[in-house]
Amino acid sequence: MMTPMQDLAFAALSGIVIAAGCLIAFSRNLVYSAFALLGAFVGVAGYFVLLGADFVAVIQLLVYIGGIMVLYLFAVLMTSGIGDVTLTNRSIATKASAPLCIVLIILLGKLIYTTEWYVAAEPTEIAPTTAAIGNALLTEYLLPFELASVLLLGTLVGTVALARRGVKVIKKS
Amino acid sequence: MSVSNYFENIKDAATSVFEGFTITMSHLFRKPVTIQYPDKTPMPVTDMIPERSRSWLRVEMDICTACLNCEKACPIDCIKIDTEKEEGVGRYMTHFDIDMAKCMYCGLCTEPCPTGSIHFIPEFERATYSLDQMIERFVPEGGKVIPYKPPKKDKPEAEAPAAPEAPESPAETPQN
Amino acid sequence: MEQLAITIHENYLWGAPLWAVNLIVMFGASAVVLMLFVAPFAGITSFVERRIAARIQDRIGPNRVGPQGILQFLADGIKSLMKEDLIPTDADKPLFILAPYLVFLGMFTTFVAIPFSSKLIVSDLNVGLLFIFATSAITAVGLVMAGWGSGSKWSMLGGMRAAAQIISYEIPTGLAALCVILLAGSLSLQTIIAGQGAYPWQWYLFNNPFNPLAFFILLASLVAEGNRAPFDLPEAESELVSGYNTEYSGMRFLFIFFAEWANLYIIGALVTVLFLGGWQIPVGVSEWAGGVASWFPQVLQFLTFFLKVLVFVFLIIQLRWTLPRVRMDQLMEICWKYLVPVAFVCVMGVALWMIIWPEGLPWMTYLLTAVAGLIVAYYCYRVIWQLRNTKATLEFNPFV
Repeated sequence: MMTPMQDLAFAALSGIVIAAGCLIAFSRNLVYSAFALLGAFVGVAGYFVLLGADFVAVIQLLVYIGGIMVLYLFAVLMTSGIGDVTLTNRSIATKASAPLCIVLIILLGKLIYTTEWYVAAEPTEIAPTTAAIGNALLTEYLLPFELASVLLLGTLVGTVALARRGVKVIKKS
Repeated sequence: MSVSNYFENIKDAATSVFEGFTITMSHLFRKPVTIQYPDKTPMPVTDMIPERSRSWLRVEMDICTACLNCEKACPIDCIKIDTEKEEGVGRYMTHFDIDMAKCMYCGLCTEPCPTGSIHFIPEFERATYSLDQMIERFVPEGGKVIPYKPPKKDKPEAEAPAAPEAPESPAETPQN
Repeated sequence: MEQLAITIHENYLWGAPLWAVNLIVMFGASAVVLMLFVAPFAGITSFVERRIAARIQDRIGPNRVGPQGILQFLADGIKSLMKEDLIPTDADKPLFILAPYLVFLGMFTTFVAIPFSSKLIVSDLNVGLLFIFATSAITAVGLVMAGWGSGSKWSMLGGMRAAAQIISYEIPTGLAALCVILLAGSLSLQTIIAGQGAYPWQWYLFNNPFNPLAFFILLASLVAEGNRAPFDLPEAESELVSGYNTEYSGMRFLFIFFAEWANLYIIGALVTVLFLGGWQIPVGVSEWAGGVASWFPQVLQFLTFFLKVLVFVFLIIQLRWTLPRVRMDQLMEICWKYLVPVAFVCVMGVALWMIIWPEGLPWMTYLLTAVAGLIVAYYCYRVIWQLRNTKATLEFNPFV
């Protein structure tokens, strides 16, 4: 059961996400695509709020907008000639990707109709999820969590190593 | 960077920020030096500026020799002097105009003046509504001013009568 | 707020549905906060900052519009409204127009989670602290957008610097805040305040020897995130004209600056909530005044909170006129070589402290409070020493 206000919020969020998605896919300018990610991320964070997942929603904002999106923007804006039409999404292999897209849409549609969606019998109270997530991460899912952190550490060290070598080569020549 | 250096840097940052804060805080309690010209001044502005400050040009017409040295010295030709000759009267000036809107206050005109007639006065509040009013006319319209004849060099005791280097008495206005 | 909505639903608006009333109340509350608190605060802060800056430089500052120039911000606002809305030819028009609103949005959304007193808060989110950090990320995107959208190299460089700076300094901010989150066991700002007391030795600031360090790290990195001097590289006037807001004029320019000044309040409020006991007033006072829920203790709480925030607003303004701007490499060095490692030490230290002394050490809190008091006393002594040593003419009246 959703109240009219939740319905309204859901419709608004969906509108934002779909519009942003369309802009990402069809924009003639890659910079617009990058900025349109903001709408998509905020919309998805809104979905999480509607689902009562407050912690995940805020982390979505913090990590995706504060971290990933800003890094995307860095990469995009640092690229020379990024405003050119030749560098847009539309100019890349439209004919080859068309059948792929059709297959994907069919598969997803089948998935949506065949899945038995779990419907809560009654609206549950929205409870804080932060502590539960913390407990789960440090007990049940400790191994994946630690593995992920080791992976990230490896990436960091690798990046530093690559960057340092580059600097040394320049110094020698 | 050694370990002791690292902690030394942190200590330096902390102490210098602290010291900086005490200095800026102490400045909050000092008397501001701002003079709120023109409406809130402790005394009239003309009394506050230095006696020999150079703000506006004036010519003491009673000691002007009409030698035209100032007109020649002016780099932007803002001084205009016209002289005429008449039998019996001799040489006299019909115009002595200084366009203060053009003047750049370089002071080159005051240097060659043999009597110190052209000089700066510490008056500066002369804003006007039109450029015409900025032209200082030292000879009245249609008037004639006979130039001052300095005494001969061989009579040193009768030298120029109190050539006003510094305008001790600005009340005497020889403008007309 | 929900009660207000229900009351309005039952008595007014000709029986409009509850959800619609809720919506109206929600937008109404944010409009009230914006119009009655944030806008005047930002405006008056802009005026106060100019006056303080002037006095620090032995000047007087704006004192002509209204009594002591207090209406200067209104005059500036009206002037900005009347100005031509300039959009440069090279600008990316949609992004140029959108960017100030994003900056403003990122700043203003944080007021949802910031408490004013124990009852007066728009919404006490369970993840309030993270929410505040998350919304400041939107500001970063807005700044990059302003930089790109202006189509000018100065703006571009300023926007890039802003983004680099904000994502770098989010790490020490988060780590320093983590010290308090560990102690409070919650991300909700009201719970964090409830864990502290009215007196300094009950604050998280003096809970253990690591928290004062975390406090300074938090303050420094929040100042850096707010692009305030000495970390105002994104708008470094001496090199980038005015950084990301170079091309803006009129109302859009005002929006960006409005966000910057309102951000001062957010910095002060965050530090106050996390380390300085927030709105806590002594229990005796609130009981004497008729219980916490009645209006008088609420006003007292608000005033306490506001006063603490103002102290920090003042300190940050003073900091701007105390230190010169750092270089870009120095900025990154301060963050990654000093703030982050020390913040990690603080987090580990607080965690260990909580394991060894789960109840806390009362004598340590008293000792740290006393040390802080001594530092403040020494500060006052040094200020007096500076005044005596330079034999300056004194003027204690702030309304010269």
